This record gives sequence, C-alpha cells and structure tokens, in this order.
Amino acid sequence: MKGLTTQAEVPGDLRLDCDTVIVGSGAGGATMAVELAEAGLDVIVLEEGGYHPTESFTAQSVRALRTLYRDGGGGMALGRPSVLFAEGRCVGGSTVVNGGMSWRTPARVLKRWSERDGVLDIGEQDLDPFFARAEARHSTGLQDPETIGRDSQLMRAGAQARDWEVVPNRRNQLHCAGTNNCNNGCPTGAKRSMLVTSVPRALALGARLFADCRVDQVTRAGRAVTGVTGHFVRPGGGQGPRLTVRARTVVVAGGALQTPLLLARSGLGSGPLGRNLSLHPNTTVTAFFDEDVTGWQGVHQAFQVREFMTEGLILTATNLPPPTLAALLPAYGRELGELMADYNRIVTAGPLVEDTGTGRVRHLPGLGTQVFYQLTAADAARMVRGVKLTAEALFAAGARRMLLPFHGAPEVRSPDQLRSLLARPVPRRSIQAYSIHLMGTARMSEDPRRGVTDSYGAVHGVPGLFVADASLFPGPTGINPMETVIALAMRNARRLIDRRPAG
Amino acid sequence: MHHRTDRVLAEFEAMLGALVPAAAKALGKAIVALDQGARLYPRARGRRLTQLDDETAEAYVRAWLARPGSGGELVRRIRSLVVMCYYELPPVQREIGYQPAPYIEAVSRRRLASYGPQIRAGEAAVTAGIPDAGPGLS
Repeated sequence: MKGLTTQAEVPGDLRLDCDTVIVGSGAGGATMAVELAEAGLDVIVLEEGGYHPTESFTAQSVRALRTLYRDGGGGMALGRPSVLFAEGRCVGGSTVVNGGMSWRTPARVLKRWSERDGVLDIGEQDLDPFFARAEARHSTGLQDPETIGRDSQLMRAGAQARDWEVVPNRRNQLHCAGTNNCNNGCPTGAKRSMLVTSVPRALALGARLFADCRVDQVTRAGRAVTGVTGHFVRPGGGQGPRLTVRARTVVVAGGALQTPLLLARSGLGSGPLGRNLSLHPNTTVTAFFDEDVTGWQGVHQAFQVREFMTEGLILTATNLPPPTLAALLPAYGRELGELMADYNRIVTAGPLVEDTGTGRVRHLPGLGTQVFYQLTAADAARMVRGVKLTAEALFAAGARRMLLPFHGAPEVRSPDQLRSLLARPVPRRSIQAYSIHLMGTARMSEDPRRGVTDSYGAVHGVPGLFVADASLFPGPTGINPMETVIALAMRNARRLIDRRPAG
Repeated sequence: MHHRTDRVLAEFEAMLGALVPAAAKALGKAIVALDQGARLYPRARGRRLTQLDDETAEAYVRAWLARPGSGGELVRRIRSLVVMCYYELPPVQREIGYQPAPYIEAVSRRRLASYGPQIRAGEAAVTAGIPDAGPGLS
C-alpha cells in the first residue's frame, strides 16, 4: 500500500525528515494530514496502533477490543464511582470504533468557549465553513429508513409517547447498511471513518504513515521543536526498531489522554496540562420486552432524545453485543445465564451527561498512566435523572422490567416502582459510569495560565508544536465530539499553513 | 463443556495480552489470590477455588463480588473479562439467538443492490482531484 508502512516492514532503525510530523491518525491527526498534504507539505503520520483494513472487521467484539482499542478497551478513571472508558488505537483512531455520530458543536458551547474561556474566532460563523467541509468529506447525513432497528424504534416511540423531542442521528456514513458493528470496525466501509477517508486521501497526496509506531518524545533545540523520537511495537508489545523524525512542525493528536502524557514526558506544556478532563459520563438501562427486539439488527444509535439537552442530558438506545452486555449486567453464574437467554428481547439505552466536573491524567512513577475523575454531586444527580427518564421512556414503549445501573438496585417492574426507588437518594459511588468521549486536557486559551495552547492549537511558548484532538476543548461539547475535532483541525491547519515560515 | 472452558481460557489469555503489562500482572496476581484465598473461606474447608464444588465456588465468588474496595474491584474486573470471553464464543452466541455474520452479509448485499452507484461515487470522491492516486486503503 503506497505510503503505509507497518512494523513488519521495518527491519532496522529509521531516520526520516519531513515538514510536519503528526502523532496519531484519528479525527484530528488524519484531518491535519490531509489539510497539510493538500497544501503541499511533506507529512509523516505516526500511529501507535496497527493497520486493520475493512475486510478484517468482524462481529467478534472481544477480538476487536484486543486489536482496535488501547488496553483492550478497559481504561478506568479512578474516583467514586470509577468510570470505565475506551480509546481506539489503530490506523484511523477512535473513528474506526465509534458510532459515527457527527454533530456540529452547539452554539451555546461555542459561546461559552469564546466568552468564558477567551478562545478567539470560535463563533458559529467562524466554524460553519469547516463543519460543512467536514460533513462533505465524511458523507454526513441521516440513515436510510430500512436500516433503523427495533430497539431504536422502541426508544423513539417511548420518548414520543411522552411528547419529548427526538431527532434522527446525523452520522458519517455512505448508505450505512445497519450492521450494528460500529464498535468493532465497520465491515462494509460505509462508516466514513478516517481509515477510509482522510487517511487514504492523505496518502494519495504523498503523506507517509507508519503504523505500530509509538512516539516516546517530542524533541527540541532551544525552545523550538525539532521532531520526535519513538519506536516500532512488535506483536506482543515488544520494542522494535527506533524511529527518529526531524521536522519543523510537530502536531500531537493522540487523544485527550495520550497527548498530555506525551507532552509531559517531553518536558513541554504548562500548568493546565493533563487537567480539565471531561468525559461525558454515560450509563445504561437494560430493559426487557415481551417481543423480540433483536437490537443487533439495525444501525447503532438511530435517534437521540434531545428534550433535556438544556439540562446537559441526551438519551439514546445503543445495542450492546453479548460480551459487553454480559460484562455490564449485575449478575453472575446461573442468574446471568437466565438474563442473557433473553438477549433478543433486551433494549439497552441510557443518558449521556454534559459534565461539570473535571479530572486529570498523569504519569506516576511505578504506576504508569493514572486517570482521576470525580463525578460531581450535580452530575451524579443528572445521571440518576437521565436513568429515570430513560426508564420512563422504555416503560412507555412497553418494557416489562428493567435493570438500573446502580450497584445493588433491585429490578424494577413498573413506573411506580421506578419512582418509588428513585425517590430515595442513589449513592454516587453505586452508579455504573462509562465514557467514550475524553476531552479537555490541553485546552485552548489565549492566556497561558489557563490554556496549554492558543486559540488555534499552537502550544504556548513552544514554536512549531501543535495539538489537534479533543484535548483542545475548553470544556465538554454536550454532544458527540468528533465533528468538533475535525472542524478545529481543519481551521487550525489553515492557520498553520498561512503562518508557516517561508523556506 | 471442557471444550468451552478451554476456549474461554484461550480468549482470556489473549485478552490479558492486550492489557498494559502492569494491569495484566495485577490481574494475574489477583486470580492466584482469588484461587488461594478460598482456603480462608469457611465453607471451603481449606480448599482452593478450583477444588470447590459449583455451589460453594459460586457463593465464594459472590462474596468477593459484593465487597467494596480494591479487592472487590479486581474480582469484578476478572468476572467481567471472563464473562466477556464466554459470550464471545460462537456456540454461546447461537444459544441466545445472536448470529450476526449472516445478517451482516445480507444487509451488506442489500446496501450494494440499493445504492451501488452512489456508494462507488462516494468512495471515488476520497481521492478526487489527485492524479495517479491509485487504490486507497480499505
């Protein structure tokens, strides 16, 4: 494959030169690669994960966790409760394993980033051209109706029965088949992840991509960056040949955990680095219906309930494959087997919370990467409210019984029982919380005391160093963050191109 | 059933290999501790977990799962990994009515039959305007 090199093809140490080296090939990194390559720059992209083509994707979700995710998808932010999170690690990054939801940053969020956080040129009118460009590149649009699954239909019916606003999801998809395999990699290529859009376009434009390559450090001479050093990762995790890339510009796009860790171990970045972590905590209600739902037939997340968005809550139905559902259910042994026997009659749905609390990622000697996050009392209350609303919608849709995501909570069999149960306080630590949206750890601000980068992703005080991922967000977006990452990368690439030194 | 146990163990071992070494090591130690710790469980009468009958073993593991703190958390993580590996097995998935492969094949065919020209145009747009782009990644 032209431009793509995997660890198997690298026999010995490599030394390379280019204009710009980009660390990470997800939504931010791949977008930067295209934009810079289109401007004629010589670009190298380094991706820690492997290259897995569309033909390799199957419905084996544990296999996918092992091959496409960091640490088998089992990250944990420590707190009470701890929050389980997953990050993609493969060519294309998390866009290969996300649901493909593509939404513009809400105007109220952009306003907050502008007025409270002092980010320049971040209004709707500033970003609209980039949103439009992102949507065109990734075929963003609504699902074809034949791909909508019964679980989504039931969630919509329940919400509409309560007169709540429901919107069809906008997704990066080219006539999505509705395989419901988004989180294992799209087996048709219909999901327009970076793997099948920006990465191949960047390579066609002459960019070079090295997979299985972990970057150890950003290098410097004086204040300015000079490139990166890293090493290839052999199968099983062994260290392979070393790689040195010399470049006048370094773009770090490893995601909201890996980006601050790389900057920190390179001795770069200011006080806020690694702090301000938001993660849109979410949780899952498991509802049992009398009818066959077969939630695995039909698109991943067809609708979102937007009625409570001003409260920072989105509700949605998302089918979970058997291994994931079994891992989340509060049961064991025979009891678990009995619950799973009803797999085809289950709808899993829940709230996603625009969080107000923040956490931190750091490397601790002897312990490795540690993520800390404390769900605030206000956010915990909103999660409980989101669970209640989700359960009400599912009861309205005909669910017979439900398992709530609170340790030790009994099964609920009626709306009255639900109200009665949730009339009592739910201990915060009992909430089962998950995340797939990590943001904010190298946030933008013109004030170096508040932000790691300026308004365009340039790291304060380090000429030539940029960040291009969700680390940049001053706070949570309240919706799926992918399109914001892409639009910011396009906008910031334009700035980088316009301001690069001559020669 | 032994065949299934072997396959679960193989999946589990592969999953441990995907974790960061520190996490894999911690889980490995926790498994040993869980097994040997059964000796202190009154109903086990000095036996290891692997030597217990099903009923006693289940009671012992349930007691761990209900514990707060890091010990209970580790056992809950082990339990999650084990059940994930079990429900990854195709025969187990068939038993609960989950057979995605033929479904994926059918809807993929339907997609191409319904929207073939638009799909091809969309895929070609990825490298539009680039001379000699050649085949892209898939």
